[in-house]
Amino acid sequence: MKLGLVIDLDTCVGCQACATACKEWNGASAISGPLADLDPYGADPSGVWFNRVRHYEVGAYPASKTVNFPMSCLHCEDAACVTVCPTGASYKRADGIVLVDQDKCMGCNLCAWACPYGARELDEVSGCMKKCTLCVDRVYDERLPVDERQPACVLACPTHARHFGDFDDPMSAVSILSAERGGFGLLEQLDYKPVNRYLPPRAVPVVAMDADAQEAERVTPLAALSRLMARARDALSR
Amino acid sequence: MKPAFSVLLFTVLSGAGLGALAIIALLDLAALVGMIAPLAPPRLQARAAAIALLLVVAGLCASTLHLANPKNAWRSWTRWRTSWLSREAVLSLAFMPVAVGLVACWWWDVAPTMRVLFAVATLLLAWMILVCTAMIYASLKPIRQWHTRHVPANFLLYGHASGALLVVVVLRSDGYEAASLVPLVWLVWLLFVAAAIGKLLYWRFLRSDKGAITLEQAIGVPRGVRPPPTPDAPASIMAARLFDMGHAGGTFLTREFVINVAARNRTWIVVLMWSFGFVLPMVWLALGLARWQGAVLAMLACMIGMLAERWLFFADARHTVRLYHGEPTT
Amino acid sequence: MTIPTEDRPLAREDHAHQEVHYSTCYMCACRCGIKVTTQDGALRFIQGTREHPINQGVLCAKGSAGIMKQLSPAKLRKPLRRRAGSERGANEFDEIEWEEALAIVEARLAHIRRTDPKRLAFFTGRDQMQALTGLWAQQFGTPNWAAHGGFCSVNMAAAGLYSIGYSFWEFGAPDWDRAKYFVMWGVAEDHSSNPIKIGLDKLKRRGAKFVSINPIRTGYSAIADDWIPIRPGTDGLLALAIVHVLLTEGSIDFEFLARYTNAPWLVIQAPGTAGDGLFARSDDGTPLVWDEGEGRIVAGITAQSQPSLFAQCTLADGRQARSVLALAAERYLDSQYAPEVVAAACGVPAATIRRLAREMAQVAFRETIELPIAWTDAWGRKHDKVVGRPVAMYAMRGISAHSNGFQTCRALHLIQMLLGALDGPGNFRARAPYPKPIPPQLRPNNVAAKANTPLARPPLGFPMGPEDLALDADGRALRIDKAYTWEAPLASHGLMHMVIANAAAGDPYPIDTLMLFMANMAWNSSMNTTGTRSMLAAKHDDGSYKIPFVIVADAFASETVAFADLVLPDTTYLERFDAISLLDRPISEPDAAADAIRHPIIALDRDVRPWQDVLVELAGRLGFPAFTKDDGTRKFAGYEDFIVRFERAPGIGFLAGWRGTDGKRSLVGAPNPGQWQAYKDNKAFFQFHLPDTIKWHRYANLGYLEFAKKVGFVGAVEPIVMQIYSEPLQKFRLAGQGLYDGPRPTDPADRARLTKYFDPLPFWYSPLEMQVTNGDAYPLHALTQRPMMMYHSWDAQNAWLRQIIADNAIYVNVATAAALGLADGDWAWVTSHTGQLRRRMRTMEGVEPNTVWTWNAIGKQSGAWGLAPDAPEATSGFLLNHLIAEHLPGSTPSGRRLTNSDPITGQAAWFDLRVRITRCVDGEEGIEPMFDTLASLPGAAPTVAALDWPAAPIPLEGTR
Ligand SMILES: Nc1nc2c(c(=O)[nH]1)N[C@H]1C(S)=C(S)[C@@H](COP(=O)(O)OP(=O)(O)OC[C@H]3O[C@@H](n4cnc5c(=O)[nH]c(N)nc54)[C@H](O)[C@@H]3O)O[C@H]1N2
Ligand SMILES: Nc1nc2c(c(=O)[nH]1)N[C@H]1C(S)=C(S)[C@@H](COP(=O)(O)OP(=O)(O)OC[C@H]3O[C@@H](n4cnc5c(=O)[nH]c(N)nc54)[C@H](O)[C@@H]3O)O[C@H]1N2
Ligand code: SF4
Ligand code: SF4
Ligand code: SF4
Ligand code: SF4
Ligand code: SF4
Ligand SMILES: [Mo]
Repeated sequence: MKLGLVIDLDTCVGCQACATACKEWNGASAISGPLADLDPYGADPSGVWFNRVRHYEVGAYPASKTVNFPMSCLHCEDAACVTVCPTGASYKRADGIVLVDQDKCMGCNLCAWACPYGARELDEVSGCMKKCTLCVDRVYDERLPVDERQPACVLACPTHARHFGDFDDPMSAVSILSAERGGFGLLEQLDYKPVNRYLPPRAVPVVAMDADAQEAERVTPLAALSRLMARARDALSR
Repeated sequence: MKPAFSVLLFTVLSGAGLGALAIIALLDLAALVGMIAPLAPPRLQARAAAIALLLVVAGLCASTLHLANPKNAWRSWTRWRTSWLSREAVLSLAFMPVAVGLVACWWWDVAPTMRVLFAVATLLLAWMILVCTAMIYASLKPIRQWHTRHVPANFLLYGHASGALLVVVVLRSDGYEAASLVPLVWLVWLLFVAAAIGKLLYWRFLRSDKGAITLEQAIGVPRGVRPPPTPDAPASIMAARLFDMGHAGGTFLTREFVINVAARNRTWIVVLMWSFGFVLPMVWLALGLARWQGAVLAMLACMIGMLAERWLFFADARHTVRLYHGEPTT
Repeated sequence: MTIPTEDRPLAREDHAHQEVHYSTCYMCACRCGIKVTTQDGALRFIQGTREHPINQGVLCAKGSAGIMKQLSPAKLRKPLRRRAGSERGANEFDEIEWEEALAIVEARLAHIRRTDPKRLAFFTGRDQMQALTGLWAQQFGTPNWAAHGGFCSVNMAAAGLYSIGYSFWEFGAPDWDRAKYFVMWGVAEDHSSNPIKIGLDKLKRRGAKFVSINPIRTGYSAIADDWIPIRPGTDGLLALAIVHVLLTEGSIDFEFLARYTNAPWLVIQAPGTAGDGLFARSDDGTPLVWDEGEGRIVAGITAQSQPSLFAQCTLADGRQARSVLALAAERYLDSQYAPEVVAAACGVPAATIRRLAREMAQVAFRETIELPIAWTDAWGRKHDKVVGRPVAMYAMRGISAHSNGFQTCRALHLIQMLLGALDGPGNFRARAPYPKPIPPQLRPNNVAAKANTPLARPPLGFPMGPEDLALDADGRALRIDKAYTWEAPLASHGLMHMVIANAAAGDPYPIDTLMLFMANMAWNSSMNTTGTRSMLAAKHDDGSYKIPFVIVADAFASETVAFADLVLPDTTYLERFDAISLLDRPISEPDAAADAIRHPIIALDRDVRPWQDVLVELAGRLGFPAFTKDDGTRKFAGYEDFIVRFERAPGIGFLAGWRGTDGKRSLVGAPNPGQWQAYKDNKAFFQFHLPDTIKWHRYANLGYLEFAKKVGFVGAVEPIVMQIYSEPLQKFRLAGQGLYDGPRPTDPADRARLTKYFDPLPFWYSPLEMQVTNGDAYPLHALTQRPMMMYHSWDAQNAWLRQIIADNAIYVNVATAAALGLADGDWAWVTSHTGQLRRRMRTMEGVEPNTVWTWNAIGKQSGAWGLAPDAPEATSGFLLNHLIAEHLPGSTPSGRRLTNSDPITGQAAWFDLRVRITRCVDGEEGIEPMFDTLASLPGAAPTVAALDWPAAPIPLEGTR
């Protein structure tokens, strides 16, 4: 199995719902919570997030596009974050999910250094490294309604820009979606084989003008008016 | 990368300690097989080795200061199969008794065979640990400034240079006459010159943008994450810039990866590195190893210079995470 | 190589200790359904309700951060009375008991009601219970009530309700499932937060084209297929240029215009006389049209008639008359509306304008949708199918927050009417109980308040002409906000943004008590915030406050609380009952009428009370007829009881679901004591799905109109004819010209404004502030946008959301900044005709070069909202409001200051603001203006180093 997410950059409006829903679910999750929030009402509020949404601009005005870019753990196949871990706290499951065993971590940060994507954040309160769990405690919880056995961020996303599934199964929704839309992994040149796929914006739909829909020749307002009245007459007489 | 002082201290101290032990062990072996005259009376060698060992231990202690959850530190002996940090931990553990053994051999001047055994083991372990430490950094693909052969090479050079100096310094302050140290001093000169060259080569490597990754690549502009190309704005020239970080204050990521050093401050550190790390010790050597106070000062200067070198090593490292925080290229 | 894998046991969710409740989110006005999981009584997880019509399971960032709202340190704890001897604004209070607080209010209000009811001004902000507050005010007998609509989007509401019978604001939604071409005008977030996001995804999956017309490219515009960076305030021009192209190309739906709009109606052409520009009508008032078939003028339209769209004829009385479309075509075909002519002003290339028009036409007329659904129109014609012209539009504050917003919004509706793209498949569709007659048959109260008597009519309504204005015998305003005066005749949401200024000036009259519910008027919802704050604290020479008594009903420690004499603390949305009613702003979707509830999920831990209960309590104490029995005793135990038993008309109450004694009736039916429970059992919402045959073209769908009459949505089974040409506007214009036989303004300034702006056909004029400010001195437009993860002022208290955004910069186009010698991150002065502020400047590509902008309502007063005094919200966040004046620069010859609002509706013109930006000299740093740090409230929570959530250690339950 190769569980992961598809993130659709064509519909992501950068609303931060995924990031917040993630914080909410995992903050009280038995395997990842609590997530530290320091100075919560003070001058420099700062906390542990598994998912951060950044915003970029590509191109120059007026041909510029604003790109909203959510990032969480990509559950890499060659997850160096796991191999560098000296304590064995970081591990990869058979289903591909990369987790940190909170009871084993010594908080050395090496895994965070090894992650090209900034997907790991140290919890200064517990002293342990934390990261996206792919909501492993939702997706396998058979006591949740079937349609809710999804990551919190996927459930929340108002534009359905996030999809969860198994990339090992070529017939899975995520595999097909990624194939159809040219999904790509981040920083592939580093060869971590990230599992999560990002979908580039779709091509702009073209409104094809019918051949006979010629642009009417521009005439004086008066001529245009009589032309319009003529049209009206045969439109209504029909 | 954030230069965590505990880590700088660790790599510099244990580097010098390991280098020193390697050097004495090596010279002792050479002497045993009669290639060279003995470096110094065994008891003096033992004292020097003991002090070097203390530096190693001090370094290891410093390293634990940077752990957020030290109570699990012992677990770092478990993953030596894949983790350079774990290997370093395991080997360091093994190294202690061996090094102590060697010191004992010299102190009680035991039979050569034993001495050879311990010397060889110490030598090999010291070298391996130095390499492991270096590989912790050199193995990190996201940091192209670290992911290079320069790193292990340099770590070995600095370790041995500062280590060799340490040996001279200790023996000298121990009252050992300068004359008999001349061959070793030549070695120190050699090592420091090599180290300096190593640093310069490393900097030349940094200046080349070989393997550099751009923000555009990081967010997939070449993969179609861009406005539809227009004649006046073809895909090829589409630059990307950060509009909003998505969080108001600092985060673990900004604190750990996104430190920006003002060019002015950097220059000062560079000056510090050359002057303290290289020039001052050499001056002391050139002055004919004057006095034990001079010796101690030379060693201190060297350590400070090495800390500066290590600080630069971190400050110059640009992790790919910085791309996502708006840096145009690594 | 791929790395070795291993599985380890994992702790699992502790369902044993958990409970699930359904309710309605209140982190914003979108009102999504929420599924709330509690663990041992504490909040564990809030997610979207899958079945809910509004959010269909998704939840936005605010909704997902609801737990942090509940944990906010800014929650008020107990009624507060301003400490004797301390000044308003100092935030120095003593806690008092509820009984004492209520006694104070009762005594004060009883006296006002007995003597002069209008001296109570009751205004509400972000609430979702205007049906109740409006009823309460009417029962009290004061005309001085309104919600936030006046500073929000009354331009959209009024333009829609005076043109098409429903509106962009709250009463309509695009057909996301069928639209093939979607044009969004000036929207960053909207009230329909989640529905729009869900919808945009649907559009894109179907390959529909999404055009966003917006000077700024963020959020929705970021994912638009076509981004049109327009120059602010010029959308009316762009829209009418599109109309010009459609008319030149003859790409309009003649049949639709003839049947469903007033295009064929005859307009009297008698310049200089009283009847000029009014509709020619038969004696019974039926509009006259020229019938091609019969070749004569006939009254009204039948299934058989062939009304002429381009009629010019002589009426029986000899006067000339022309049909509406003839007048319209003549106007818009004129070259002043040619794309080439308007391009420069709009900053949109002529070719782009033509393309947009032609793409709309192509999709509307050549890519039509047909649904095999038989229906009958209001004239009895049978149709075997429903035809859709799948062009949909949506617009909000980018249009409404300008002083030409009403006419601009009318221009957008004109495009929709010309394309015949309304309430059909793929169109912008109505949400029940809309559409309603145009305008809705409800006149505003316009008689002086009488002691101890309810108003005959609700305070707010829709004037048909000058006679409906709320003026006294000698032409002075009846309302404190001067709504329904010559200055803002169609102010159907009131002018909340003028209340404090007028009350402090005693103009038109002094009031006694200002009661604010859920509006942060001392901060982000006021123009000229600094001035407004001093007005709230302004005193007469004798040292008494100009506004004698201020009551604030709030749930949190806002900036406005500091200016209260009495604070009545409210509950949070998880602690109280609420009815999201069809009588209010509905949560209906086009295919179904819907309403919803909230109910207490978290037990109260403070001495606070639901404001609804307080209102019902006061209504009882003050003896409002609707709330008391004949013997004077209370009718209702409290809000919970009121919602179930109150009937506005027989069978019609606040909640439409599970009515009837057996709980089996929908929409209409006797009160049902088990109604709350029924809602709880049904995931907290009710939905009535319209059958296919009455879903479409409802303004003229006989089946629908009959249904609507039956359930009380409309008063009569009559077609709702869309108004291209607006007669009420023409009446006001006649009044301005001195030709109206009825009330007429005396002040020349009013006459001029009415004559110019009350054009019965949509037209464009430069926003008022721009007309009077010097364009060279203030060359840039300054705007705000809603951040998707923040709701106005009230989310800074949210420990998660403020980690995402805690301060705001002023954004400038890269090239513009360069031209001004500004570099990214520079400190800059932003100066308007009223004031200046200082803030860091950031550059970006995605903004129209003449526009600068910032996020709305991020800046906070130091010490407010339970934040540390040095919180970034106070030290580097700022409000643009400091630069926006509530009055236009200068005054009329008669010495009047005119409100900075739309001259037709009185909508606050937030986005008319013009500024200049200059680089700060080195050393000039830190934000300006700054305000004193508020004293902390009694019992305020101490600042904590780390958040304590979940409070209890997470129980592990087994492992897997
Ligand atoms: N997250 C969140 N959601 C909210 C709110 C909130 O505070 N936060 N507030 C709620 C309330 S009260 C309201 S009224 C709605 C308002 O919802 P919106 O109508 O989305 O209000 P704004 O955020 O002001 O967005 C106005 C948009 O119009 C653009 N604009 C400004 N001037 C012009 C113009 O002249 N022409 C065009 N074409 N565009 C222009 C601006 O760039 C901006 O994108 O949002 C509601 N929803
Ligand atoms: N510059 C600029 N200014 C603007 C706008 C803009 O676009 N630009 N937008 C304008 C618009 S459209 C609007 S609608 C206004 C909105 O401005 P406001 O109507 O002032 O809305 P909020 O800032 O949300 O403040 C509402 C108050 O309600 C309180 N509150 C929150 N929840 C509850 C509750 O459950 N019970 C009670 N009793 N109180 C509660 C909050 O504490 C807060 O004090 O802002 C306007 N101001
Ligand atoms: S919730 Fe969806 S739309 Fe919002 S930021 Fe996350 S991915 Fe983008
Ligand atoms: S994204 Fe980072 S943390 Fe996640 S698996 Fe890959 S390397 Fe590890
Ligand atoms: S921080 Fe924890 S998880 Fe990461 S490498 Fe160190 S021990 Fe392993
Ligand atoms: S999958 Fe779960 S843990 Fe990962 S980002 Fe989404 S919500 Fe967070
Ligand atoms: S849009 Fe978000 S905040 Fe508003 S009601 Fe829905 S979920 Fe709540
Ligand atoms: Mo609003």
